[in-house]
Amino acid sequence: MAAPLQLYCWRGDHGLPSVDADCLTVLAYAKFAGAPLKVHKITNPWRSPTGILPALKTREEGSFSQPSKIIIQLRKQKYNADYDLSAKECADTLAFVSLLEEKLLPALIYTHWVDAKNYVDVTRRWYAENIPFPLNFLLPNRIHGRQLERLRLVRGDPTLEPGEQLEKELYHDALECMTLLSQRLGSQKFFFGDSPSSLDAYVFGHLAPLLKIKLPNGKLQQHLNSLDNLRQFCTNILVLYFPSESREAPAKKVSNHADGGDFDNEPHKRRNQILSVLFAVGAMLGYAFLSGIITIKHTPARLEEPHVDEEEEEED
Amino acid sequence: DSLLGEVLVVELNTAEPWPENATLYQPLREDQILLSDCASSLAVQAYLRMCGLPVRVCCRANAEYMSPSGKVPFIHVGNQVVSELGPIVQFTKAKGHSLSDGLDDVQRAEMKAYMELVNNMLLTAELYIQWCDDTTSSEITRPRYSSPYSWPLNHILAYQKQWEVRRKMNAIGWAGKTLEQVYEDVSQCCQALSQRLGTQPYFFNKQPTELDALVFGHLFTILTTRLTSDELSEKIKSYSNLLSFCRRIEQTYFEEQDRDGQSGTSQLSKGPSLI
Repeated sequence: MAAPLQLYCWRGDHGLPSVDADCLTVLAYAKFAGAPLKVHKITNPWRSPTGILPALKTREEGSFSQPSKIIIQLRKQKYNADYDLSAKECADTLAFVSLLEEKLLPALIYTHWVDAKNYVDVTRRWYAENIPFPLNFLLPNRIHGRQLERLRLVRGDPTLEPGEQLEKELYHDALECMTLLSQRLGSQKFFFGDSPSSLDAYVFGHLAPLLKIKLPNGKLQQHLNSLDNLRQFCTNILVLYFPSESREAPAKKVSNHADGGDFDNEPHKRRNQILSVLFAVGAMLGYAFLSGIITIKHTPARLEEPHVDEEEEEED
Repeated sequence: DSLLGEVLVVELNTAEPWPENATLYQPLREDQILLSDCASSLAVQAYLRMCGLPVRVCCRANAEYMSPSGKVPFIHVGNQVVSELGPIVQFTKAKGHSLSDGLDDVQRAEMKAYMELVNNMLLTAELYIQWCDDTTSSEITRPRYSSPYSWPLNHILAYQKQWEVRRKMNAIGWAGKTLEQVYEDVSQCCQALSQRLGTQPYFFNKQPTELDALVFGHLFTILTTRLTSDELSEKIKSYSNLLSFCRRIEQTYFEEQDRDGQSGTSQLSKGPSLI
């Protein structure tokens, strides 16, 4: 009925369909609304139609990027997970999404991208290992700089530095936000009854990475784990709507521990090592020829002599 | 140890009662103050009046620089200086005055969420319209913002502030929006607020809370401020329960108290009163 919709998003890991909060939000909403999407899981944002991920490509209307725009576009195509909500519930959705963006999102940005230990040990490593060469040298640092800049602009303080004071303030707001969400959810299955809506997609998108990606500095994670109903909410959605990803996770973890490194990247590593050794040897030989340390005499038989010549002094 | 620090602060605060000479600082009312700052200031004034705490309003050209966080308004109470509505609510709560004590957990969650809705959509829309719309920025905002200063400082400060706000809009994804889309967002926000308010006198039935103060501050300011076009105030006027909500708060907390009190010029002399 509808033109095929294509969604480009970050690849998944740790039992999640995607590692990025915005991508998770869109994926969850699409599942809730029953939208038939062709999902491209990529690790190179430059290959997406808009240059950033997530991105929705429609046949007639072009490409869209932010989660709110993507959800509006899906609604236009009649995939609406909020169809059954009352007007008051729609108003509550807007309000709680604003709460997420103002209070929780800055702390999430801090904990994944700005906190020194988390960034170096987990986030940067994942992105550097998964983004193809040569972007893996550029992009993680660039995203890190951009996220820090965003925190500075949002807080209105251009001299903001990552540190204990900032962490305390951000985490205080985030912990309060999570507690409020937990109170609003109560013992229900989803925020507005028995069927999920866009608010559930947003909350899931923001909380699931926190739940699943293990961080060295995990204060937010501890608090989330202590809120049973939110934890149950996220695992519920994972099991119901993304069963294939949650099954893959245990298998991947075992092979990781067994090899002590990334199993998938083994062939690449070997190939890269050989290539770099060849490149180094070629560079040394080239320099040796150019500067005259080694010369090739025109008689073919003496081609092996270069090794002997190296020990002699400079010659013609 | 941070928890201990907070407990100490709370104890120090509760020790002193609210003084008579508490002052609220904002930029100059007639010439300098902008829509967003006026809304924030009015919200704080409304909140303090709802709590029954007296405060004197002082207009200073450099209020923004005096503020500890760089944002206006801020209040000077005893020997403490606190800026912005959120921290001020915490501060008055520590002194034992609170409007939201009677709410249960779910209601408190909703109240905080709707306050963030106003901050996220209404306040950002106000900032966008002031600084990112070229017509408004050049005709109204920059001249007003830089009015207390002489050349060339006025140009430098105005452009610096504009650049900073535009960068912020870029960072949060609002830079790609057109003016029409921003008006649409404001309309959506007002619709949500109108839905939530329904036919009740205040958002949580009988008693006003900080949410009512915040909503009043923003809506009243938009309704009574003259911009390059009336579209923004028309959006709000289409929701009659929001209009009567503003009128009710203006009558209850601003006109009556001014009539009773000897001093205090009417705090709402910024523009015409609501029709």
